[in-house]
Parts: sequence; structure tokens; C-alpha cells
Amino acid sequence: MLVPTKKDHQSIAADLLNRAFEPEEATKILTEKVIQRPLFLCPTSPPPADARRARQLAAKRAKEQRRTKALKPKPLSATQRKKQGLYQIPKEGQKYKLFEPLHNLWLGYITEILGNEVYTGGEAAGAKLASADFHGAGVEVVRSGCVSRVGIKGIVVKDGKFAFEIITVKNKVKLVPKEGTIFRVEVPVPMITKTTETTEAKEGEEKKESNMVFELHGDQFKLRSADRATRKFRAHFSKTL
Amino acid sequence: MLSFQQPAFYQSSKCFVTHGVMGHVDPKQPPSKGKPWTAFAAQDFVYTADLILPQEVFEVVQDKLLKDEAIPQYKRVVMSLHDVLTGDFFNSYIKQGSVLMLSEGRRGIDNVFALKSGHLTMFLDKEAYERAGLVGKPHGVKGNRGIKPRWIVEIDLNSSSMIKGKKGYDRLIYASKNAFSDPMTWLFCNMTSRVPDPDPLTPFNPTICTSNPSTTQDIDALVPTLIPPADTSEQTARDKLEDFSSDVYEWLSLVRLQSPRILKGDSIDPYLSIYRVPDGSQSAKVCKITWRGFLSPSWTRQTMIDLFTTLPSKAWFSFSTTTFSKGLAADNTECTFLRPPNSSGEYLVWEVKSHE
Repeated sequence: MLVPTKKDHQSIAADLLNRAFEPEEATKILTEKVIQRPLFLCPTSPPPADARRARQLAAKRAKEQRRTKALKPKPLSATQRKKQGLYQIPKEGQKYKLFEPLHNLWLGYITEILGNEVYTGGEAAGAKLASADFHGAGVEVVRSGCVSRVGIKGIVVKDGKFAFEIITVKNKVKLVPKEGTIFRVEVPVPMITKTTETTEAKEGEEKKESNMVFELHGDQFKLRSADRATRKFRAHFSKTL
Repeated sequence: MLSFQQPAFYQSSKCFVTHGVMGHVDPKQPPSKGKPWTAFAAQDFVYTADLILPQEVFEVVQDKLLKDEAIPQYKRVVMSLHDVLTGDFFNSYIKQGSVLMLSEGRRGIDNVFALKSGHLTMFLDKEAYERAGLVGKPHGVKGNRGIKPRWIVEIDLNSSSMIKGKKGYDRLIYASKNAFSDPMTWLFCNMTSRVPDPDPLTPFNPTICTSNPSTTQDIDALVPTLIPPADTSEQTARDKLEDFSSDVYEWLSLVRLQSPRILKGDSIDPYLSIYRVPDGSQSAKVCKITWRGFLSPSWTRQTMIDLFTTLPSKAWFSFSTTTFSKGLAADNTECTFLRPPNSSGEYLVWEVKSHE
């Protein structure tokens, strides 16, 4: 039996390569790609089917997700909002005198909106008033299903979706829900005075100022003032009036 | 808006009969406890009072009850609630005196205000109640309240918290200025004879009305035996009393209505009326005195005491009072008292109470 010796036997790879390539190229390929080929000890094959491994990987992925989510900005919860106290008027600020200039501004704004309808009133005035902003309006609760609210009078400090915050003359801020409540608003209107026809007797009288009085039905008004600007109000028959 | 009529929950009036024995009546100590007196005092405002007597004792009564000073007076005045609750009127009449006032209207329909011995009761509809801002209770038959309930507000004006500056009084004044600012017609009755010197009522120009008693004398009537049956045995006693009391009450009502059915020579076709005077009726002469107006329960008590003191104890008499209607028409409460002849303190009282 013939035993192949080292010297005799040229590798099969070399034989094959000598057949395909030229001698120098064949030796080059042999050295580079066969003899000096790197062998990886831990090949990148799929991990072994191990429950522990799988759990660890899942935990790692979840952690990554949470970190990215925590970095995103989120809205505040109700308790956090209350704690911030953004909409709370501080104790020093709860003074009726401080809000009177705001009230005067509002009166100017309302007379500007209404224009000539202050004298005539009616549906056109109603449509304009319904979409007006009521921050700083002087209101009085005139009729309410809850009888303790009747008689509250003051300047509107906050016009929320479901309630008015009103500051009274006695420097108290009262939260009055709009449901089942009717508010009365008075807007002073300068009367047109006659100049030449005044007689002797009338000269002693003061220039009379009358008011335009209108009543808001809180039931139909349960929207924020920003939303009311674009809303069309239709006439409804009320079951409870 | 287009709602149908509310269903009416009609409950008929009930009549309660009491048969008892009264103690002696002392004019110096007017009685207030016990059955005939409490029944009369429980009425709020008396509209009609009728007295039925045998003709023989009429002269005795005439001097006492029909003289000028004894005739009750009341006033009709137009005021707003604000006028009633402020100023001299409030201080002198309501806080100190005892007055009765009733405003115009029907209780289930309009807004009615009643003032009795310092207690103001307001019967309001939904809108007036919500505009007033005073705390009250729901009013009306429970099933009928629906979307538009009515409310009663009761305020004690005699309490020490009802002065200017206190919160309760201020809320009441606010309500009277805003919700009840219209003047309304009131009936006013001063229960005491004391009138404050500058009379606070004069600026309102009251109309003085007197309830002159109208007498009908010499009614030739068939008078049934007015003596209640003696208790024989328990089973029959109640039935007998029921029969007796319904017959006598019917007869007394017919006398009050001045109906010809109780007259001696009455012969009506039974097709038109089936009423017959109870068996054992005898012919006698009867007279009737009626007062009509705005009377107070204290006046009825005083009149009863006068009757007991002036009339001879053998004579029978019947005194009945009717109040103003509480709601819809013909819904009054009434109290009728009968003292049988030859009795010693025995009496019968019929109280008709409406459902409200």
C-alpha cells in the first residue's frame, strides 16, 4: 500500500488551482486565500434557543424604548396642573379694584363690537354678543336652579368652559357654574342728547345714561370663549324655562 | 311650548267628625286646647262664617254680636312686597302687632303670599322661585310636579335675624326688589284692636271694608232631632253616629245655603230632588247669621266664647267657618260646630280638609 508523504503530495487545492490559473497566480491565491485564511472562533450564527437569553434581550429592548419615550415632552396631569396653580389668582391679586380697569376695557370693547346695535338690540346684537369674549364683563346672577347663586355680582375674571369665576366687590372670587343659571350684563350706553331744543327746565338735569341690559343663558353657553368665536348659535326652545 | 295639559291628580276632600264633651268656657281664660278650639285655630284665613240658631234666642245674640263695635273690619290695599317688608309698616305691624295678610291669586296658579302672625309663606311658580334665590320646599302633588315644579318658601319674620343688615333679611329684600317688584292687591286684617299712631297703611290708601253680618230670620224649617245617639253597643254605635252626623251635616248645609228643601211646606217633585228631612223632624223657627270677608281665627274663637256665655245652655246652635280656597275652585277647608239642645258640654265638630 502506498502512503502519501508530505513531500510528494502537493495539496489538492494547489493541484486544482494550478489547473485553473497560472503558476504564480495559483501560488498567490493558495497562500492568501487558503493557507492564511482567518478562522473565526465564535461565528455570528443565530443565538441558541434559551428562555433566559430571550428574556434578557426583551428587557434590554424595553429599557431602550422607555428611555427614548421619557425624553419626549408630555402634557401635565390634573393634579400637577393644580399644584402649579397657573390659573389661581394669588391672595394679593384678589382685589376688586385691580379688575376695574379691565372692566372698563371690556366696556369699550363691547360698545365697539355692538356699534349701533346698542340702541336697537335684537337678533343682530344677540349674534354678536354670543361670540364675544366675556373676560372683564360685569355680571350678576339673576336666575338659577341653585338658589344660593342668585345675587352674585361682580367682574368676570375667568371664563371657563363650564363656569365663570367672578370677583365680587367684597374681594371674594366665586366660581359660578354656567349650568341652569342666567347671567345679566349691563352695558352703559351714552344717550343722544338734544342740544338746541332743551328748555329752561331741562338744563338743570344731568345727561341721562341708560343701560343696555341683556341676559345670558348659561346652559347654552358652555364653551370656552375661544371656541365660541367660530360657533353659530341657533334659537332653541328651552324645556326648563 | 307645545306640551299637553298636565294630568290632574285629584284627591277628594275628607271630612273628619268628632263627638265629645267640652269643659266649661271661661271668658277670662280663653280656651285654646282641646278639640273644637284647635280645629278652629288651625284654619289660616276665614272667608265665611255662618251661625244657625233657633229663633227664640236671636234677641239675646243680637245685642252682643250684631252691634257696631263687634263687626269685623278688614282693608284692601295695593302694595308691593318690598313695601310690606320695609319701613314703618314692617316695624309696627309685623314685628310688634299680629296681622293677617293675603295677596291676590290662586295658590296653584299664581304667586300667592300669605302672612299670618309673623310667618310669611310664599307659593311660587318655578320662574319666580329661581329668580328669588330663597330656599324653599317643593309644593304640589308629588306625581304632578314634572318639569315645572312649584315651590313654597316659608320665612319667620318674627325671629331676631330678620333685621336690616342680616344676611337672611337682605336676601329677602333683594328678592322682593328683583323678583317680586310688582305691586299686588292684599287683604289686611289687624287682629288686635290697637292701631299704631301714624298708621303706616295710610300712604297706600287702603279701602276699608266691613263684613256686615246678614241675617235671615223666621225660617219655617223642619228641624231634626239634634241629639246624638247614646252609645248602646260598640258595633252599632259607630254606624249610628255616622248616620246621624251625615244627616245633621246635610241639614245644616242646606240651611246655610238657604235651600227651600228644609222649609215646612216644601213639596218638590221627587224627580227633581230626592232629599227628605230626617225622620222625627219637628217644625220650628230658625234664623241664620252670615259674616263674609277676611276674618281671622282669633275672631272666630272670640265669637264662639261670646256665644257660649250669652246663649242659654239649653239652646242649640251651629257655627261654621270656611276658609279661602287653597288651589282651584271649591277646594276650601271648613269647620262646623254643633252644640245639641239640652246638652251639658256635648258637641259635634265636622272638619272638612282638602288634600293640600
